[in-house]
Amino acid sequence: MSRILDALRPAYARAWVRIRGNMRVKTWLLWEVVLPTIFMASVIYAYHNLDAPRIFIGFVVVGTMMMNFWFNVLWGMGNVLYWEKETGNLEVYLLSNRPIYMLLLGMALGGMLNTGIRSLAILLIGILVFGAEFNAAGLLPATLVFLLTLAALYSLGLMFSSLHLVYGRKGIRINEVLGDPISFLSGQYYPISVFPTLLQAVASLLPLTIGLDGVRRALLLGEGMENLYIHLAGLGIMTLILLPLGIWILNRMVEKGRRDGRLIMRWL
Amino acid sequence: METAIKTIDLVREFKTSKGVFRALDGVNLEIPSGMIYGLLGPNGAGKTTLIRILSTLLLPTSGDAYVGGYHVVREASKVRSIINLVSGGERPGYGILTTRENLIYYAMLYGYSRREAERRVEEVSQLIGLDEFMNKRLNELSTGMVQKYSLARGLLNNPRILFLDEPTLGLDVENARSIRRLIRRLVDEGYIETILLTSHYMHEVEELCDRVAIIHRGRIIEEGTVEELKERVSSHVIYELTLQGSNGNLDFLRELDSVIGYKVRLSNVPGEARLRIIMAYEDISRVISLLERKMYRVRRIVRDEISLEDVFLKLVGRGLDE
Ligand SMILES: Nc1ncnc2c1ncn2[C@@H]1O[C@H](COP(=O)(O)OP(=O)(O)OP(=O)(O)O)[C@@H](O)[C@H]1O
Ligand SMILES: [Mg+2]
Repeated sequence: MSRILDALRPAYARAWVRIRGNMRVKTWLLWEVVLPTIFMASVIYAYHNLDAPRIFIGFVVVGTMMMNFWFNVLWGMGNVLYWEKETGNLEVYLLSNRPIYMLLLGMALGGMLNTGIRSLAILLIGILVFGAEFNAAGLLPATLVFLLTLAALYSLGLMFSSLHLVYGRKGIRINEVLGDPISFLSGQYYPISVFPTLLQAVASLLPLTIGLDGVRRALLLGEGMENLYIHLAGLGIMTLILLPLGIWILNRMVEKGRRDGRLIMRWL
Repeated sequence: METAIKTIDLVREFKTSKGVFRALDGVNLEIPSGMIYGLLGPNGAGKTTLIRILSTLLLPTSGDAYVGGYHVVREASKVRSIINLVSGGERPGYGILTTRENLIYYAMLYGYSRREAERRVEEVSQLIGLDEFMNKRLNELSTGMVQKYSLARGLLNNPRILFLDEPTLGLDVENARSIRRLIRRLVDEGYIETILLTSHYMHEVEELCDRVAIIHRGRIIEEGTVEELKERVSSHVIYELTLQGSNGNLDFLRELDSVIGYKVRLSNVPGEARLRIIMAYEDISRVISLLERKMYRVRRIVRDEISLEDVFLKLVGRGLDE
């Protein structure tokens, strides 16, 4: 038991740093609560004008909430690792003899907690201000799908971070390329059934799409496990592939850094 | 005496756009434990490369190195558990967190629980004298403070062997002195067994180190105690001249057989330069007449004591920072 605790300590430490740091910067309130709320409001208003059924309010609220995590994966994992390398933090971390994935686990946990608090704020605003309605029976399956979605998303983040180690500053492009298109494809504000079949097929390979669909089915339509096991299985398989692959690539990258001298060349 | 660090034919090459560059070219070193050992060399000599290999952050191309008896490649994790590294001029950490919070984070990486980490950080901060800025944010610290903070960080895991890469880089005289005093204390009072530090400041190494290796273009060209190294140039003659006039190249001095090396520094008087010259035998009159023939005016002539700098001048023929 104490061995496990000790192994997890660097992740705890890194998450602690992230949460502390976040509490100290007040602008998150604007970027991660106020702005998404304004977008959310405008989409809800548009649906309202189209005389869409009330269920669409909940639909949009879930989309806004979960998309926060996607942006946290992009901007809070990948390019953060690059930044850790630039400042010399990565070296200090490696000297401590801890596996690098524990550092990323810490970033992920801290990021999930920070983003979770914001998403909760958005959920409350959705319910109290916009009158979103949810099916209480779907809470448990929704939570399961949600947690597995996070696992798959942050595993993906692990892989992005090795890309950022390789491509350095250019890695920011990756985020720009992936950010909005994926939130578009995953159906942040509308069902992906509005897309042509090919696009739907591509979209359904994204963990975010599956997660959004699953959570919405559970929370809005009250669907239970009997309908959602495919979602759960899909997300589970994605995690099982992405996580070990991400860790493997990351370890390779660090080894490559030691071989090529890249860990020390800050400007590369 | 026990050996803290040993390298055998250590080579490190880097691939560059212009081909393969040899940053370390067969380094053989044996550093006894229980002392401050200095690695002295000009920019690009390979000091940082060597320190990175010894601290397992970089792999050697060939050769072997042992730190505390462990092989830096095959037993890298054992090496890491007994060392730490502090690089001057760097600021690792999280800017919006305080000095204390940053140190607690690093202490937790080394396996301390939250509470133990707080205690360890307190201990180390007492030792280094961080108290006044423990609650300041990292991005509010001055360069001098950052260097102390980094030094504190390097002590958190109680390392037996500490690597310091240019620990006074970019510091003013006052701060540099206080860092040097701290470094000396760490070994004298038994907090650290062995320190290997790099520097391109002669006086720093001379003041601080028990033994010195001089590294130049990836090779160790001289090794010994400061006294021993000086002994090796003791038969030489050293002068400091103050020059005025023609501000060109002084390479013509090398025409004289007696001249082994020289170094020019601008003085703070405009139009004046200081020439430090090392000669195999007393030959200053020919030096002066040669200078005067080349339109220099010699304002002052002082015969000087031998310093470590002269050892370098002798070995390389020019100054450390040229
Ligand atoms: N990753 C790298 N890729 C290519 N060349 C490198 C790399 N790291 C170092 N070098 C080269 O190797 C040589 C030695 O560099 P090193 O940093 O070890 O010198 P140093 O003695 O520490 O110098 P300084 O006093 O400037 O810190 C330099 O010429 C440097 O350009
Ligand atoms: Mg260096």
